[in-house]
Parts: sequence; structure tokens; C-alpha cells
Amino acid sequence: MGSTPGTSGRPEASGVGRRDLIKRAAALGIISVPTMGFLSACASGGGGDNDKAKTVKKTKDNPFGVAKDNDLDVFIFKGGYGDDYAKAWEASYEKKYGGSVAHSGEQDVTGKLQPRFNKGNPPDVVDDSGSKKMKLDTLHKEGHLTDLTQLLDAPSIDDPSKKIRDIMLPGTIEQGTFGGKFHALFYVYATWGLWYSNKLFKKHGWEVPKTWDQMLDIMKDAKSKGIGGLAHQGKYPYYMNIVIMDLIAKTGGMDAVKAIDNLDKKAFVGNPAAERAIEAVYEIVEKGLLMPGTNSLEHTEAQTKWNEYKAVFIPSGSWLENEQAKQTPDDFEMTFLPLPLLPDSKMKLHAVRTGADEPFIVPSKAKNVPGGLEFLRRMLSKEGATAFAKEASSLSVIGPEYVDKSVQLRPGIKTALAAVDACPVDERFNFRYSEWYGEMDVSIQNATGELMAKRITPKKWLERCQAAVDKEAEKNPDTKRK
Amino acid sequence: MTAPATQPPVTKAKVPSQRGSGSGPGRDGMEGRTLNAFSHGFLVLWAVMIVLPLFWILLGNFKTDSQIKSSAWTWPTEWTFDAFQRGWEKGVGDYLLNTLIVMIVSVPLTMLLGAMAAYVLARYDFVGNRFVYYFFVAGSMFPVFLALVPLYFMVDRLGMLNTYQGLILVYVAYSLPFTVFYLHSFFRTLPTAVHEAAVIDGASHTRVFFQIMVPMAKPGLISVGIFNVLGQWNQYILPLTLMQKQSGGDEDRSMLAQGLVSLMNQGNYETDLPALYAGMTISMIPVLVVYLSFQRQVQSGLTAATIK
Amino acid sequence: MHRKKYPFIAGFLVLPVGLYVLLVIWPYLQTISYSFTDWSGASQNFNFVGLDNYKDLANDDVFIKALQHNALLLVLVPTLTILLSLFFAFMVNVGGRGGAGGVSGVKGSAFYRVIFFFPQVLSIAILAILFKAVYRGDDSGLINGTLQAVGLGDKNNPTEWLNDPDLVLWCIVFVMIWAGAGFYMVLFSAAMQSIPKDIYEAALLDGAGRFQTFFRVTLPLLWETIQTAWVFLAILSMDAFLLISTLTSQDFGGGPDHSSEVISTYLMRNFQTYSKSGYACAMGVVMLLLTLIVSIVTLRLSRRDRIEF
Repeated sequence: MGSTPGTSGRPEASGVGRRDLIKRAAALGIISVPTMGFLSACASGGGGDNDKAKTVKKTKDNPFGVAKDNDLDVFIFKGGYGDDYAKAWEASYEKKYGGSVAHSGEQDVTGKLQPRFNKGNPPDVVDDSGSKKMKLDTLHKEGHLTDLTQLLDAPSIDDPSKKIRDIMLPGTIEQGTFGGKFHALFYVYATWGLWYSNKLFKKHGWEVPKTWDQMLDIMKDAKSKGIGGLAHQGKYPYYMNIVIMDLIAKTGGMDAVKAIDNLDKKAFVGNPAAERAIEAVYEIVEKGLLMPGTNSLEHTEAQTKWNEYKAVFIPSGSWLENEQAKQTPDDFEMTFLPLPLLPDSKMKLHAVRTGADEPFIVPSKAKNVPGGLEFLRRMLSKEGATAFAKEASSLSVIGPEYVDKSVQLRPGIKTALAAVDACPVDERFNFRYSEWYGEMDVSIQNATGELMAKRITPKKWLERCQAAVDKEAEKNPDTKRK
Repeated sequence: MTAPATQPPVTKAKVPSQRGSGSGPGRDGMEGRTLNAFSHGFLVLWAVMIVLPLFWILLGNFKTDSQIKSSAWTWPTEWTFDAFQRGWEKGVGDYLLNTLIVMIVSVPLTMLLGAMAAYVLARYDFVGNRFVYYFFVAGSMFPVFLALVPLYFMVDRLGMLNTYQGLILVYVAYSLPFTVFYLHSFFRTLPTAVHEAAVIDGASHTRVFFQIMVPMAKPGLISVGIFNVLGQWNQYILPLTLMQKQSGGDEDRSMLAQGLVSLMNQGNYETDLPALYAGMTISMIPVLVVYLSFQRQVQSGLTAATIK
Repeated sequence: MHRKKYPFIAGFLVLPVGLYVLLVIWPYLQTISYSFTDWSGASQNFNFVGLDNYKDLANDDVFIKALQHNALLLVLVPTLTILLSLFFAFMVNVGGRGGAGGVSGVKGSAFYRVIFFFPQVLSIAILAILFKAVYRGDDSGLINGTLQAVGLGDKNNPTEWLNDPDLVLWCIVFVMIWAGAGFYMVLFSAAMQSIPKDIYEAALLDGAGRFQTFFRVTLPLLWETIQTAWVFLAILSMDAFLLISTLTSQDFGGGPDHSSEVISTYLMRNFQTYSKSGYACAMGVVMLLLTLIVSIVTLRLSRRDRIEF
């Protein structure tokens, strides 16, 4: 997937006390086998304190006491944003602190890192994103996350009179806080919604749709001209869920968002907003307005077809333009569209889903924790944010003022940022369930896949989603969102 | 291959190639002819079904990314080899080399250890023989992915993660069940007379094994070797788990399947399908060459093994 | 009776058995012990939860579905591959008209032998890349594109091969047969050639037709080889992981909506995506028991007479 689905960490550690849990030490009998394996792994010298990086005295300029010439191991999710930005950060770090900075740019984060976490040998900095990301709450529960509060209180590189916490956009700290402590730096400032080519719009004389019906009219007109109305990245129903969930949110307001995140008994079935929204989405399927074949396409396949004007709209997040940089024609005029409204919607047209995305963590068992912290601090500087804007054409959570004026963002992302600016801060929304409840998310995605393939009805979709919510509620009686 | 030895083993010379020179009454009626046409048609169809996708993907090497993603039968417009260069730069050559390094050791070692165990189990009576045999054979169908994490720790404890020797040992261990199963029945069918004569002459057990039994079992070894080459060549999840960089600075020792899948995953973000197809083609070429030069040996190896 | 028999036996067994125990049996045993815990897979801290994981499994619809699909693959892949490759082997060996009506392969046998075998030497990753393109759900896919080019497919309503619950598993089965049939054809051909020609000639003289000859003579004599093939194919079909996880939707594959879910895909999703590693291990143990049963049955069926020496 393009980037992290969902965007948040959970505010509190989950209440675990669901069973009589016998501590590992007590359960000698049956699990002595893996335990002994673990002990002997330690004895053979897995990760003693000996190989920890040396530190020097902490100063204002070097708040974590990073010593020169310590190696740093950086692991980046190489998705829609690529990984060139991280290479720029690494070069800059290396220049300042020496040592060698090892870089890994990978897609399969869990596959590559789960064994290393297990073994106690994780990298020093991890961009834990993508569809194969490691679950943050699991990592937190296992004590794998360094408390980044010290990063928040460290002085900013560009203006040492300011603390890092004061230069980050609102919401970032809350999102990275687990069990009362700040553990994950969600670095990218992201937006989700629909996208279209303004060139195609001008060619066919279409107006930017404000209502759902206007959008359907455009799709119908497109269909008559041999163009698909909506493309979606069918192999990953995550993307189509952007449309569905945002329409539910905009129709039903924050109450509808919270109902889902809070595993409400009427999150889907019995929620008029959800019912109306899914009917409206199903109309696209029923009227044959989907791009042919889109239900089975890989995300870049669908996006490339959209770039070739085979479809009018496509859902995605703000990484889309960067991901499609090579496939997009120069005169495509990629444009962001906040989701059009159904009649009597609780939210306004300008409401958009925004949030901080791409969590960066410093594993607590890493060899060079101070180096990892310093790396994050440098990311949150003018130099860091500028490199990110230049290489990934996106903004970070320290906002546009930290990006050097010489860097020109791509045109599409500018339209997305303009849409965000047009939406007052308190009208921006975001969902959290996908981060909190992985299985429920998969169930909802599967239901969406079936709906888009016209194999189930909207009513059945609601039932299946509600069943997924109820199942999750049974397992997690404590709700998370206030 | 494993029928009780009703005949003494024969040499390859007897592989019948012009069998059927004998005359028989032509008894194919209309029905037979129709069936024949159908069967023949099916052979042709299957051949097309194999060649066509491969040819098509080969064409993809010369298309652009967007040509591949548009209509299936878009013809390439520029016949350049750029994609091959990009594919090569993605490290396909290294993946291929890594795989070869591992298999050059792992396949013979599998056969040596497998033959030793199978031989002892097939031809010596001792307490626990049946137990050890079933113990081996039971493992042949266990899915590998069940043991992955403990295996990872075990290899870690041996200090062999992301090393060739680690993967070699694991390949051998996981190939043993089928190898023992196969060779066990093969050793049983070998005649005992030669063996006994050697023993009477005072040859040690070890010498009998290496100088008499192994040469006699050569056809069986060849065919189980072929099975093992194919089996280990297609391993994916074992190298995926065991041949990973343990820190960012480690060398990448990916096996071919693992490397190609990782390229495919990368392609889900920055798509360069021509380069991926080219990488795939590059990795196919040496195999194709080896196969075409040895296919006779492969086939006669399998043939010899079934002649008893 | 033999001199120094036991030291020799021990010496020959120690390495293979040692390696096998260390790297195969021991990890499986550890998997069993993990299955009684709530292990998250991210560290070595976990709690003992008794049989909870197993109780959950009994009520897990997706798991049951995955088991059924595994059973289906276990039956379909070996059976269809063997049938098809037997047919091919028969055709290239004795299927020809053979001039005077004797026993020989069809024309072009040598060519078929090379071509049919070739998929087997391709890395399984190549199969995944190849068939991803072949099955693509729009007009860029080989099948859909070709169908449309010859006027059989509807451009506006293409078949979404891998997104169709009724087709997806068959698509996977087809890839496995496509790749495997050639190898078994060669294997069976080899076995057929080792059948003495006098037997065929005798059958022909007795007035048996070609297909009668096949069922009365060839097949019974090939039985042992077929059993070996079945075992090897069964092993392969238990591990369709790479194909399913790369070709189908959902994390680690198995989609759409679990319709191609097999144990390996569901297990990996639980292990990694859901952080339910202890549960995943319990799944593994159930699978282990089932494969053990299948193995025992197979062994029973293929048990051979002991040869005296």
C-alpha cells in the first residue's frame, strides 16, 4: 500500500487483564522449552550491554550525548515516498557524527524486523509503515519502544530556544503517545481523499462536484465516453474504504466516526449515516461506473490506468503523486478532491481526513539509542524537512515554514495542502480503528471487496461490518476513543 | 522404481528407443482416429500454453512500463536492451550466484547424508530401525513454515544466520526425509550377492558402501538428486527467514526466489515492470542453458532409476 | 554376524539424524510449546494460556475454511497433475500411430519432452511474476487481452480471475499443474520405457487396444512411481504459500474474502499482521497432526514387501 493505513497509535495501553495470566517464570512446565532457548540465546551473547554505543557528555548542541564514530542502523519503509529522503538524512548525520550509517529500504517491515526484535537486535531507527508494518501497540506492550519524551524536550536544531515539542503540528504528540508516554514520531503530514486529472475535467467540461449526485453525473458522462468513472486499487480494499468511511464520516459527523472507533453496537447497522453512505457508494457499482477490471488490480496498476485517463476518480492519500511520479503525464494536473456530500450531511464539503502518518520509532534494545534520538531530532529540522519535501514531495509534521523556499512541491500535493488549509482545524477528522483493531479492519476490507465486486448487497455489507465490530467489542470491552 | 527386484538391474544400453518396431495389426478405427486427433490437439495446446506466456513476458522486456500496463498485445516499439541493464543492476546476478553457491554444496551433501541413513536403515537389522525410518519419513510432509521461528533461533544460536553454511545445513535437514524415503526403497532392491561377496572378502562396511553400493545405486542417486535440485531451487520461505540482513550493514545474500519476490514487491511502489521481467529473464537464461544441455541426462537419469 | 556392525550403523546415522533432530524436529517441538502461550511474536515474553488457543481455533470459521482449501489442494493438485502427466507420458511413448501400428510416441515427442518439462526449472518466484501478469483482471492480462483480441472477451466486463471466489483456487491449482506436469511426464515416461517391450507386444498380440494396454499393462506397472510422485506432489501442495500470497488479495494472500485462504496464509497473517503468534503456532500444531495422519495413510498405502537378504 501507499503508506500507513490509519494513522494513529492508541492513547493508552490496552487493559490486558482478560485472563488469569501466569507469568512466564511461573509457567516453567510447558514453556520451558522456548524459555531455555531464549536464555541460551542470551548466554551466547545476543545483545549484551557491551556492544551499546558509547556516549559523551550531553550538551545543548548534542542533547543525547552522541559520541562520534558510532555506527547507526536505519530501517526505512520504502513505499509511496521512496527512500531517497532517508538517504539524504543519513548522509547529513554521517557528515556530522562520523561512523557509518547503514541504510535498509524495505517493503516487508514485519518480515524483516520481527525476528530481530525477537532476538533483541533491532535497528536504531525504524520507519514502521506500510501494509506489513509491525503493530505499534504490540511493540509498546513488549517494551520495545524508547520513550521519546526526551526528544520532545530537546532543543530544536534551527532555534535552540524552542523545544521540539513546540514546533510540531497539533495532534502529533497525542497520536504517538502510548500509555501516557510519547513513543512514536508520526513524521508525515498526510491527507486522504479522491483525486482527479484537471486536464481531463477541462477537456470534457466537467465542473468540480460538490454533491454525490454531481459526482455520479460526471461518472455517467465519462462512461458514455468510454472512460471509467471510478478506479480503485481493488487488490487492497483499504483504498476504497477511504471513500466509504469518509462518506460515512461526512454524512454522520464525528459521532459516526467515534461510533466505529468505539466499537458501538450501532456503528454500522442502525446507523443512518452508514446506511445512506454505503447505498450511495453501491450506486457506483450497480450503475457500472467502475473502471473495468479495477476490482482485481494492484494499487500501482490501477493508479497507472488512472494516469492514462482510463478513469476519472481514484481514492488515495497524499503520497499518490510521488508514487506515480514516473507514470503521470506532465500536463495531467493531478488534483485533490474532498469527498462530495450526500444531502443533509453533518460535515461541510471542505472537511478532510488528515493526520500524521509514517511512525518513526527508536527501539529500546537498539545498540545506538542516542544516535537514533539524534537522528529523529535532525529529521525535525529545516534541513530534514527540506530534504523530505524535495525527495518525497510531501510535508512533515513541523509544517511548511521549515521547508526551504527553493523547494517546489509537486502541483498535486499543493492542491491537497490547499484543501487542508481551507478546512478549519476542528473540522478535520481521522479514523483510528484500523490501527487499533487489525482483524476488524481486515473483515471490513473483505466486505468492501465483496461489495465492489457486486457479490454482496449494501445491507449485507453493513451486517458484516457490524459483526466485525461486535466481535472486536467482545474482545476489547474497554473503548479507546473519548 | 521401487518394485521388488524381479529382474537384475540393467545397464543404460538397454534403454529401448526403437521399441515398437514389431508389427501389429492396424486396429485404429474411426473412433481411435478421433481420439487421436483430440489427444494430439491437446498436446499442441499444452505446448502453446507453456510457450505463449513465456514468449509474452519476454516481449515485455522490450516494452515500456505503460505499454505493459495497457492492452496485453501491445507490440514493443523500441527494441532496446535498457531493461536488461536495469534488471541486472537490481542484483539478479548476485541472487543467482548465491543460490548456486548454496546448492552446489547442499545437494551433494543431502545425497551423501541421505544415502548413508537410507542405506543403513534399508540393509541392516538393528533395534529401533523401523522407528528411525518412520521418524524420518514422517517429517517429509510437515509444512516448513510451522518451524520457522524456532528454527531461526536455532540457526542464530549456531551463529549461522545470513550465512551460506547455515542455509546449506537447513536445506539438507529439510531434504532428508524425502531423500531417505526414496533411497531406502532403492537400496532394498539392490541385489545382495555382490555385497555378500565383498563382505566375505573382508571389506569393511564403509568400504562396501562407498565402493560397491553407491556405484550400484547411482541411478537412484541421480533421480533423487534431480528431485532435490528442484525442491531446493524452489525454496522460498526458508531463505526468506534465514538469509536476512541482521543489521543494516550486512551483506545481502538473498536467494533467487527471495530476491525476485522482493523486486516484485518493490515494483508495487516504483513500478518498472520491464526491468522486473528482464531480471526474471536474466535469471532464466542460465537455467535454460543448463537444462537444454543436460535434459538428455536428466531424462536418462530418471529412466535409469526406474529400470530394475 | 557382521563385524563391528553397530559402530558402523551409529557412525552412518549420527550426522543425518543429528542434523534432522536439531534443525527439523526440535523446532517443530518448540512450535508446539509456543502454541500454549499468548506469544505476540515480538519478544520472548509471554504467558501460559493452556488450551485457549485450541478452543479459539475450533470456533474460527476462517481456519476451518483454510483447512478445507488445504484438503482440496492436497487432493486436486496431485491427482490432476498425475492424470495429466500420465496422459502426456502415454502419448509421447506409446501414443503414436507408429507406422505399422506398433508402440511408439507421437510425432514431435522429443519436442514435447523439452517444452513440457521447462516450467519445472523456473523458480517459483518467476511463476508468481508470470501468472500475476497472465491473470491480470483487465485487458492488460494475457488471458483477458487474448480473449478480447479474438473477440471472446468483453472489454467492459473482463473476468477478474483472481478476484472471483469461484475461480481463484482453480487458478492457483492450474499454475501448480502447469509447472509440474512436465516433470512427472518425464518421470512416468522413464518408468514406461523400463517396461519390457515384450509385455506390450504380448498384449497387442492378444488383441488389446492402445488404451486397453494402458489400463491393463502400463498403469499397474507404474504404480510404484505414481506413489512416489504423489508423495512429492502432496508435499508441494501443502506449501502453496508463495503463489497464493503473491497472487491473491489480503495480507499474505488468501483473498478475495478468504476464498483462497490456506493454513499457511492465515497462519502468517495471524503471526505477523495480528501479532497472534501463539495462536498461529496452535494452527501449526493442528496442521502438523493432520499432515502426520496423511503421511501415515500414505505410508500404509505404499508399504512394500521386505526384501530378504
